[in-house]
Amino acid sequence: MTRYLLRRLFWMVPLLVGISLISFLIMHLAPGDITTTEAGFNPKASQESRQKLRQLYHLDEPLIVQYGLWLKRMATLDFGTSFASHQRPVFLERKDDKGNVSKGMIQEALPITLLINVLSLVLIIAVALPLGVISALNPNKPPDRTITVFVFIGFAVPGFWLALMMMYWLGVAHDWLPISGLHSLGYEHLTWPARWWDTARHLAIPVFISALGGLAGISLFVRNGMLDVLHQDYITTARAKGLPENTVVYRHALRNALLPLITILGLSIPGLIGGSVIAESLFAIPGMGKLFYDAVLMRDFPVIMGILTIGAALTLIGNLLADLAYAWADPRVRRGVGG
Amino acid sequence: MKQALSNPLARWGFAIIATVLLLALLAPLIAPYDPDAIDVKAILLAPSSSHWMGTDGLGRDVFSRMLFGARISLLVGFVAVGIATAIGIVLGALAGFYRGWVDTVIMRLVDVMLTIPTFFLILAVIAFLTPSIWNIMIVIGLTSWMGVTRLVRAEFLSLREREFVMASQILGARDGRLIFRHLLPNSLTPVIVSTVLGVASAVLVESGLSFLGLGVQPPNASWGNILTDGKEYIEFAWWLSLFPGMAILLTVLGYNLLGEGLRDALDPRSNK
Repeated sequence: MTRYLLRRLFWMVPLLVGISLISFLIMHLAPGDITTTEAGFNPKASQESRQKLRQLYHLDEPLIVQYGLWLKRMATLDFGTSFASHQRPVFLERKDDKGNVSKGMIQEALPITLLINVLSLVLIIAVALPLGVISALNPNKPPDRTITVFVFIGFAVPGFWLALMMMYWLGVAHDWLPISGLHSLGYEHLTWPARWWDTARHLAIPVFISALGGLAGISLFVRNGMLDVLHQDYITTARAKGLPENTVVYRHALRNALLPLITILGLSIPGLIGGSVIAESLFAIPGMGKLFYDAVLMRDFPVIMGILTIGAALTLIGNLLADLAYAWADPRVRRGVGG
Repeated sequence: MKQALSNPLARWGFAIIATVLLLALLAPLIAPYDPDAIDVKAILLAPSSSHWMGTDGLGRDVFSRMLFGARISLLVGFVAVGIATAIGIVLGALAGFYRGWVDTVIMRLVDVMLTIPTFFLILAVIAFLTPSIWNIMIVIGLTSWMGVTRLVRAEFLSLREREFVMASQILGARDGRLIFRHLLPNSLTPVIVSTVLGVASAVLVESGLSFLGLGVQPPNASWGNILTDGKEYIEFAWWLSLFPGMAILLTVLGYNLLGEGLRDALDPRSNK
């Protein structure tokens, strides 16, 4: 297992280099250099911020030196300070000369987005698994057809639109759920259970919205995986042995159909993180997505580059965890045998 | 194609796509009003016989804007997918044909691109550029070619080992002839499916971007930015949100249905 882990970590090196190259490329996308871009939504700030950008990314140095310095920034996780939010550090908290600690912007936003994504994954698994199994056990019968219709609609419905509709129905028209932020006013005065309940109510629609695409995808995936497995010889053998149908379905078939699901869930992480932009900015939830959206609107480049890099790093970590989980679940992988 | 349309899902998909396409093409003939004409006497009117889908906050006819918005949304979808497919075919063919270090470099690039959350990447690029229809198309195209690359590469890798390709190679065919005459035509089937599905996701991405105000810019209508107005007036003008949302849903559904239908029809294993 240790050897597998080391091999897997080693593979991340070229990926990290690639990520640094792509983000470096993006910094140099704008005609001329980023400091002369006329895209700035805030013309007043542009003159000053140009100068800051020149300093931050050393734009007067030769390209190779610039890239070296960018690599150093990435390696030390130091993405500078925000242009827009009073010089706050982009990633991690920092002490100034007087000993005042200012919290890092990503540091504050990241746990919120992670919480939403973890809850989404839990929701996806809790709903999509049974749906997929029901579909696979009744192929082309009414339950399967109904679920398939929902799957297609789930794929096609624009998340931001559904979010808007739910916001209106559940929040504005009926006042059942709060539609903005993470906490209600007076949150500090609530007892612990009341705080949990309050946060849960705030997160209900955003979590559902970010889980939506995954719900459809994973149900379809479980269905097709189960259908494949149910036609395997060992299932026939299990039935021939006279095992009860439940044992065949849940112990023999489902377990094997679930293996590839680990990988798929790992692969769905970048989509979940990227998807947080719309849900978080619509519901004013101060996570990575909203931070990123605000940074894009204000052309707050240090924050943009920081989140881009951290987002990619999160995906790498997620994929690593998925691979390790897979290796743990499937001995063939960790022993490096074919299959 | 004929085989694909025997699939009921694909037939529905095709019917939806054809209808939307026709409406978009004929927009100037069908639209009852100028989509950009502001009418201060007709602000936020509910749907009626004179304004089928009501009017927006500037008194513009929503039905006319929906028709012209369809043109923009579909155009962005088609061009973006065209760019992505072209890049995917070229890189996939190179990787699958030459293998070795070319393959390694291209596949690592694919891995890297899949690591960066796509929506972040798109937004970051847009932050450095001016949001315009062309930039949106290019950016969506440049960030969604990875799937096609993998498909074409896989096809090339397996086709290269086939007898007819080897025979042609032994007879002295050059790389170009092998690629364009033998390998490429035989590896396009899965690409067709992914192209159709790609249009669906490009339409979704464009409408999301436009909804956030970072895509198609007003006064140009796109389904996404009509919805942005809908958000402003959601409490008293449901029609501004309902119709564009339904249009996006139906269009995306249409392409997904056709794509899945084609996949079933073209995949020999599913002909049970």
